[in-house]
Amino acid sequence: MTTEAPSPPVLAATEVTVRFGGLVALSDVAIKVPSGTIVGLVGPNGAGKSTLFGVLSGLLRPEKGRVFIKGEDVTSATPMARARKGLARTFQQPELFLGLTVREHLVLGYRVRNERHRLWRDLIDFRAVFPPPKEETEAVEALLELLDLTKIARTPVAVLPLGMSRLVEIGRALATGPSVVLLDEPLSGLDLHESEQLSESFQRVVDNPDHEVSLLMVEHDVASVLALSSKIYVLDFGQLIAEGSAEEVRADPAVRAAYLGDDDAVATAPPARNGAVATPHPAVESTTGPEGAGE
Amino acid sequence: MLQYVIAGLATGGIYAIAASGLVITYVSSGILNFAFASMAFFIARFYYFLHVQHNWGIVPAAALALFVAGPALGIALYYAVFRFLRLSSALVKVVVTLGLSVTIPALATIIFGNGAILKAPGLAPEPVRVFDFLGVPVTLDTVIIYIAVVGSVVLGAGVLRYTEVGLKVRAMVDSPAMTSLSGSSVGAISVGVWAVGSFLAGLTGVLVAPNIGLDPANFTLLLASAFAAVVAAKLRSLPVAVIVGVLMGVVTSLIQWKLPPSSPWTGELIEAIPFIFIAIFLIYNLIRTGRVSETEGVGGALDRAILPQGESQLAGSTSVATLQTGSLGLIGKYAGPAFLIVVAFILPVLPLPSYYTPLIEAGVAYGIIFLSFTLVTGEGGMIWLCQITFAGVGAVTAAQLATNHGWPILAAIVAGGLVALPMGVIIGFFTIRLGDLYVALVTLTFGLLMDNLFFTQGIFQNSGLGVNMAPPKFVSGNIAFTYFLLIVFCVVALLVVNLRRSTTGLALNAVRWSEPGSRTLGISVLQMKTIVAGLAAMVAGIGGGFLATAQTSAQPMNFETFVGVAWLAVLVTAGVRSCSAALFAGLTFSILPGLTLNWPTWTAQVPPLLFGLGAIGIAKFPDGTLAEQGRQFRRLLFKLSRQAPPPVLEGVPQDERELVLGEEPPAHIASEVSS
Repeated sequence: MTTEAPSPPVLAATEVTVRFGGLVALSDVAIKVPSGTIVGLVGPNGAGKSTLFGVLSGLLRPEKGRVFIKGEDVTSATPMARARKGLARTFQQPELFLGLTVREHLVLGYRVRNERHRLWRDLIDFRAVFPPPKEETEAVEALLELLDLTKIARTPVAVLPLGMSRLVEIGRALATGPSVVLLDEPLSGLDLHESEQLSESFQRVVDNPDHEVSLLMVEHDVASVLALSSKIYVLDFGQLIAEGSAEEVRADPAVRAAYLGDDDAVATAPPARNGAVATPHPAVESTTGPEGAGE
Repeated sequence: MLQYVIAGLATGGIYAIAASGLVITYVSSGILNFAFASMAFFIARFYYFLHVQHNWGIVPAAALALFVAGPALGIALYYAVFRFLRLSSALVKVVVTLGLSVTIPALATIIFGNGAILKAPGLAPEPVRVFDFLGVPVTLDTVIIYIAVVGSVVLGAGVLRYTEVGLKVRAMVDSPAMTSLSGSSVGAISVGVWAVGSFLAGLTGVLVAPNIGLDPANFTLLLASAFAAVVAAKLRSLPVAVIVGVLMGVVTSLIQWKLPPSSPWTGELIEAIPFIFIAIFLIYNLIRTGRVSETEGVGGALDRAILPQGESQLAGSTSVATLQTGSLGLIGKYAGPAFLIVVAFILPVLPLPSYYTPLIEAGVAYGIIFLSFTLVTGEGGMIWLCQITFAGVGAVTAAQLATNHGWPILAAIVAGGLVALPMGVIIGFFTIRLGDLYVALVTLTFGLLMDNLFFTQGIFQNSGLGVNMAPPKFVSGNIAFTYFLLIVFCVVALLVVNLRRSTTGLALNAVRWSEPGSRTLGISVLQMKTIVAGLAAMVAGIGGGFLATAQTSAQPMNFETFVGVAWLAVLVTAGVRSCSAALFAGLTFSILPGLTLNWPTWTAQVPPLLFGLGAIGIAKFPDGTLAEQGRQFRRLLFKLSRQAPPPVLEGVPQDERELVLGEEPPAHIASEVSS
């Protein structure tokens, strides 16, 4: 009897270290994103979350450490090459193409991934004049449906409110058929209703049986991250101070120290790099509501 | 050698003053003033008007011209134009100042007279006194230049370093947003800075006039050299601009000393030196930092947040335009272009005076060339000021192949386009890591280098006659050739429209709006920009071949870079993203001057004045007048159909539709409607 080798995580980083001059932005950070899951990455301001996102997506080169996509070392690959290997991302401030409609964003994402030659060939074969292939239409329609964007498919993104813009950016990322999507503070700036809608969309995306995709989410709204993620990593001052399920993270004294300045926790938590006691972070207040109260 | 150093210090002094004026206005308003030379010309011409034409003494004439008219011109331009541009896109800023550079000399000619002035007095009394310095003769004009440079530097440094006004200016250089928030009026500071900048322009003009006469083209060429110092200063450092300006003058003079005076290359190389400086500075900075952009090191997060994003104000790309265009049916979208094409087809057979026929013919050829701007600037979002150079390359190549090597004319014209194509690709490749303004400067530099080093070759000049070109034999006569050109225009325009709708067009749009978004989507920014740059260069090359054919000879002087600046001004006025606007602009550019042929001489300045004013007008209508008229028409349709949801919003529930459009039009639509 043979046992099947476990498949590698869709995205992994090991011993990632980044320095900006004298400042250590990340120190020996390691994370794994298994297939078909939502993984959360939280931490106070300045913890190094955005830097880690930059390293994972290839916009920043780490001083030390490696990044893997589906087991393949992509540390030296460009953002473009990583995108082709199945990594997609969104931005804290949506980076949309304001001259295009919602549908065109998805069509472009689909074609870049599946019909790359059209970036050149459309110029001479006038294919753009003819209706798109059935597969493309079906894929785009399905995504629009999944994200509840069908009704505004023909709307130029320039006139969309923030919540819809975020959905379009996620749709564009998903249209490339990624294995993993990095979501950079997708809930920031949204009202409660929009946050709930977007969170539901995330769940629908990972539950979608047609395409297995993982989400790695950086978010200040810790409550949402804890509710959505199957695993959470906590960064503070560039160091990974905790990882585990929502319950494990909530109970972790180092996390409480980082977010709350909990005296007992501080005694057992690693000191901050500058020797100061970490100050309470407003974002964590949401974890001390009904869920955290009983702990 | 001392003689050359003394002469070089004088030239360098002029560069330094000009560079100072350019830098201080740039840091105070974010506007690189391409009209600086024209402002210098205007004030120098006013000084000449007072001193020579009306016999005023040097002191009162200089006082009125430099200390009253100079600052007044800057203040007037600030209130009329520049203050509206702070948050405009780089393209709008560049085109508006280019428009001014066309308008101001035309205005000066209308006001002060039309005669050519080859020799103009400076600030020294005539006859100019000559001093002996270590055996080298030094004129009083040269001494005055030294005094002006030292005075400007000392006074400027003193004001900036030791006064409250200087503190505010320096604060604004670091962060306009924070300066504003701390209670200082950015507007008031800007007024002062524009007054000083305009004074420096006037001072430059009056000082340089004895050397180059009062010819706007000479002014522009000389002061374009000052851009080298501005680039070295990375647009912002006043001390670096002054030092490099002076050094450049001295180095140029010393190189002139070493070059053989009898060589035909000497003069051309000397004129090219500042542009070689620009290339060296940019390459050095690219190697050192990987990217050169005007937004580097500008203020803090708040300043960056309010900087224009992408080309936020290009024709047809604003949210409202996109939304309203998307809301229209086929008739609404295509009625305007179709009408224009029909008019263009009727135009050649209208009973107009015979001299209009070649003008219409050339106008359509201009339209083909202008489509290259539609590609590179309209679709690619890149501010290229050398499309005319590609047109010239296409024209002279086609002329050589067709006339001197017996190629069929159409094959020669296509070959001319193919020669221009790799040039566009190479420039696209090398400018990929430059900010918008630097791209404009590099392409301007490339054009000026080609003017000086390439188009001056005897084989192209043919003793000033150019090389003859004849239309293909199957189209006999001007009218037939005009129709042939119209068909070519339609074919190229269809290719542009196809590109816009194709995957390539979507990707180009993506790159234009967000490079990080494009890269992480897997789109190569380099690939897309070089594609469009190469295509645009080829279209310009082909259009240049047709233009030369329409004008019966490939004449290099018709393709000088500063003429191309006027082309861009005219096209952007009409609308840089619209193919029909390209045809409209081409016909206007060619035909309008014909209207003044039988009128008084001064009326010849009216077309450039109108072209310039049109370009200035994009400060108010960034999408161009034609696009604005189209939009007005669409607004009317939009209002008429206000009861029903626009097709783009069909099916959207009312609450979501209000999110998109608002109960009333959202603020940005409302403001556009009210404007």
